[in-house]
Amino acid sequence: MPDELHAPEHPCSDHGGEHPTVLDLPYVPISLKREWLEAETRRHFLARGSRALAWAGLATILGRTAPHLLADVAALPDRRPQFLPKAKRAIYLFMAGAPSQFETWDYKPKLAGMFAQNLPESVRGGQVLTGMTASQASLPIAPSFCKFTQQGRSGTWVSDLFPSTGKVVDELCVIKSLYTEAINHEPAILTMTTGNMFPGKPALGSWLAYGLGAINEELPTFVVMTSKIPTKRNVQALSNRLWSSGFLSPEYTAVALRSGGEPVLYLQDPKGVERDVRRSMINGVNELNHQLFERVGDPEINTRIAQYEMAFRMQTSVPDLSDFSDEPASTWDLYGPKAKEPGTFAYNCLMARRLAERGVRFTQIFMRTWDNHTNLPTDIKAMCEESDRPTYGLITDLKRRGMLDDTLVIWGGEFGRTVYSQGRLEADNYGRDHHPRCFSMWMCGAGTKPGMTYGETDDFSYNIVKDPVHVRDLHATILHQFGFNHNKLTFKFQGLDQKLTGVLPARVIREVLA
Amino acid sequence: MRRGARSALLFLLACAGRASAEPGTYSGSVAPVFEHNCVKCHGATKQKAGLRLDSLAGVLQGSDDGDVVKPGDAAGSELFRRVTLAPTDDDFMPSGDHPPLSPAEISVLENWIAAGAPPAAAFEVVPAAPAVAAPPAAPDYRPRLTAATELAQRLGVRLVPRSRVPTDGLVLRTASAPAKCNDEVLASLAPMADLIVEAELARTRVSDKGMESIGRWPNLVRIDLTRTAVTSEGVARLAALGRLEALNLTETKVDGRGVALAKKLPSLRTLWAFGTP
Repeated sequence: MPDELHAPEHPCSDHGGEHPTVLDLPYVPISLKREWLEAETRRHFLARGSRALAWAGLATILGRTAPHLLADVAALPDRRPQFLPKAKRAIYLFMAGAPSQFETWDYKPKLAGMFAQNLPESVRGGQVLTGMTASQASLPIAPSFCKFTQQGRSGTWVSDLFPSTGKVVDELCVIKSLYTEAINHEPAILTMTTGNMFPGKPALGSWLAYGLGAINEELPTFVVMTSKIPTKRNVQALSNRLWSSGFLSPEYTAVALRSGGEPVLYLQDPKGVERDVRRSMINGVNELNHQLFERVGDPEINTRIAQYEMAFRMQTSVPDLSDFSDEPASTWDLYGPKAKEPGTFAYNCLMARRLAERGVRFTQIFMRTWDNHTNLPTDIKAMCEESDRPTYGLITDLKRRGMLDDTLVIWGGEFGRTVYSQGRLEADNYGRDHHPRCFSMWMCGAGTKPGMTYGETDDFSYNIVKDPVHVRDLHATILHQFGFNHNKLTFKFQGLDQKLTGVLPARVIREVLA
Repeated sequence: MRRGARSALLFLLACAGRASAEPGTYSGSVAPVFEHNCVKCHGATKQKAGLRLDSLAGVLQGSDDGDVVKPGDAAGSELFRRVTLAPTDDDFMPSGDHPPLSPAEISVLENWIAAGAPPAAAFEVVPAAPAVAAPPAAPDYRPRLTAATELAQRLGVRLVPRSRVPTDGLVLRTASAPAKCNDEVLASLAPMADLIVEAELARTRVSDKGMESIGRWPNLVRIDLTRTAVTSEGVARLAALGRLEALNLTETKVDGRGVALAKKLPSLRTLWAFGTP
C-alpha cells in the first residue's frame, strides 16, 4: 500500500495523512479499487481512521452514494452452476487422523506371509520417513489383523470392521489411489479441506457456498460437526482453520454445531425477552452498522449484519432441526440407539441427513481418533464400531428418501498409513505411521459410479501402480458434480485468480462418474 | 413400453435424415470443418499440443498425447470426444471464445470417422439430425428471469436457474419457508409453468388440489413431495407430465393405487415411496 509506505506515523496512529488514496482517483478502474479494498484488513482499517473520509470523497466524485458504490465493489457472484449439476448437497465424513487403508479398504492378502519381514528398500524407494519411525532399527511388515470378504454384486473387498457398511457396498465408489504431499496432520488436513497446506485458503464448503449460495436461507450453507471420541488415544486436534472461508467473505465460513448440549449457544432468547423485542434490538444494531458502513465502507460490516440476521433466523430453524421427535422408529434401527445421544457420530450422521433435507449445501462431520500410531487393532476397532452402523444408516436413509440421487457422500482421511509397524510388532498389536503416498476413500451418490473400485496400489500399499488420484483431482471431481469447472470457480486475491485446486493441473476423474 | 415406441420413432426420423443425405469427402466436407474451427491453433502458425489439423496427414498423425482419430470409432476418438463435451468442460474444443461446432459439423466428423476416416472416398453425411441432440429442458429463461424471480418472491418461494445454460430451466425452491408454499402459490406460478423443470415441494403445505396446477407444467422432470398432504388423488393429476423422470413421494399418504398411477408416467425412471401406506 503506497499509504503505508509513506506514512511516517506510528502504525497505530489514526492520523493517516491527507494525501488521496487509490479510491479517490477517478481514473483508476473499479476492479483495481476493489482489489485495494480486499487487501485491507480490519486492523489497517482501524489504523486508518480519518482516511475513512476518503469514501465520502469518492462517492462525491462518482456522483453516487456510498452504498451504491459498494454494491458494485462487492458484487455478488453468479449463483448459478456453470452446467447442470448432479449434486445439490454433500455430506463429508472426515476421518481425521488418517484411517489405515490396510484395515479399511485396501486389501493386501500377500502381506499375510510376510509378518515382521523388513520392508524391501526397493519398495520404499529412499522415501524420507517421519521422525516417529526414522530411527527404528527395522521396518517390520505388519499384516492387517482384519479379514476381508468380497461383498455385494460388485464384489468389492470389505473389511470385517465394516459389517454394516458392507451391506451398502454396491452404492460406494471406492478409490484406493489417493495421494497427497503432506506427511503431517495439520498440513494434510488443510490440503483435504482447503486444497492447500498453508492456512488462509477457503474450505471446500466455503467455495460451494460462495459459488452456489443457499438452498435454505434460514440455515447456514456450510455446517461442521465434530464427534465425541470413543477412545482417548491418538486424538487429532481440529481448529476452525479447517472450515474457514479464508479470503472469501466470512459469511461463507462454516457454522460449527456443538457436540453436546444445545447445538448453537445463546440461541434462546433470555428470559423476559420476547421475539419482537429481540427483532427490534437487532434492527437497531443493524441500523448502527448500516450507518457505520455508509461512513467507512468496510465490507465486513455487511457480513456482520448478515450474521446477526442469520442468528435471528436460526432461533427458529435450529430448534426444529434438533428436535428428533418427528423421526420414524425405523430411523433408530438404521443409525442405532446412539443416534439419540447428542455429539456422537451416529447423532451427527442423522443430523446431517436432517440438514441435507432442509437444503444445507455442505455438511462436514469430523471424527478424530484415527491416528493409530500405537495399539492400532484395539483403537481402530473402537472407531469402526462407533462409525460403521451410522455410516450404513446414513447411506440407506438417503437412498430410501430419494436423496442419494443429489447428495454426494464422501468418506476419508487426510493420508494413509505405513505397511510397517511403528514400534513393537506383535501378531495382534502394532501401530502404523503416516504415509502420504497412497490412501483410500470412497464417495457415493450424486452421479458417482456405484459399486466401483478405482485405482490400485502395490502389494505393500506403499506406491500407487494404477490410476493415481491427487487430492486436487478429487476436489475437481467434487466441484464437477456440483456443476463447476474447477478452473472457472475463482476469486481474485493477491493478484491471482484463486481456486480450490490451486495452480497445478487437476483432472476430473471421469472414470468414477456414472 | 411407450419409451421404446418413442425411441423407435426417433430412430426412424434419424434414418429418414440419413437416406436423403449427400455423400461427402474429406476435402469437400471434413477439411472445411477443421479450417473453420481448428486451424488457428492447430495449423501452420500454431501447433498446440503438437497437433495439426490443416492436412489429412496431420489429422492422422495425432497430437503429442497420441492419436486423435480412431478410424471406424467416432466415440473412441479423442477429437470427437473433445468437440462433443459440455462447453464448460476443461477439455472442450474449440477452446477460448470460439463458438462450439454446429450439430451439422459434428455429424460430418462423426460420419467421416465412422466410415474409417477415408482420405478420398465418399462417405455419408447426415445433416444435423434433431433426433440426436437432446431437446432443451425448457424455453430460454433469459427474457423472463426477472419476472419469474419477482413473481416467486412475491409468493414467498424462489425460482432459480438450474444452471447457466439458459435452456436448463428453473427449479422451484421452497426450503427457506416451506410453510409459505401452498396450493394457491402453485396456481399463481402458472405464467412461468413452462420454465419450471424441478419442483422442490418437500414439507410444504401443498395438497392434491395443487397437483392440478403442476400437472399442467409441461417441462417438469423432477418433483419432490416428501412429507406433504398429497394422496393418490394428487398423483392421478400428474398423468399429463410426459417428461417427468423422478417423483419423490416419501412419507406421504399416497397408497398402492397412486404408486401404480405414477409408474404409468411415460418418462418416469425413479419413484420413491418410503414411509407411505
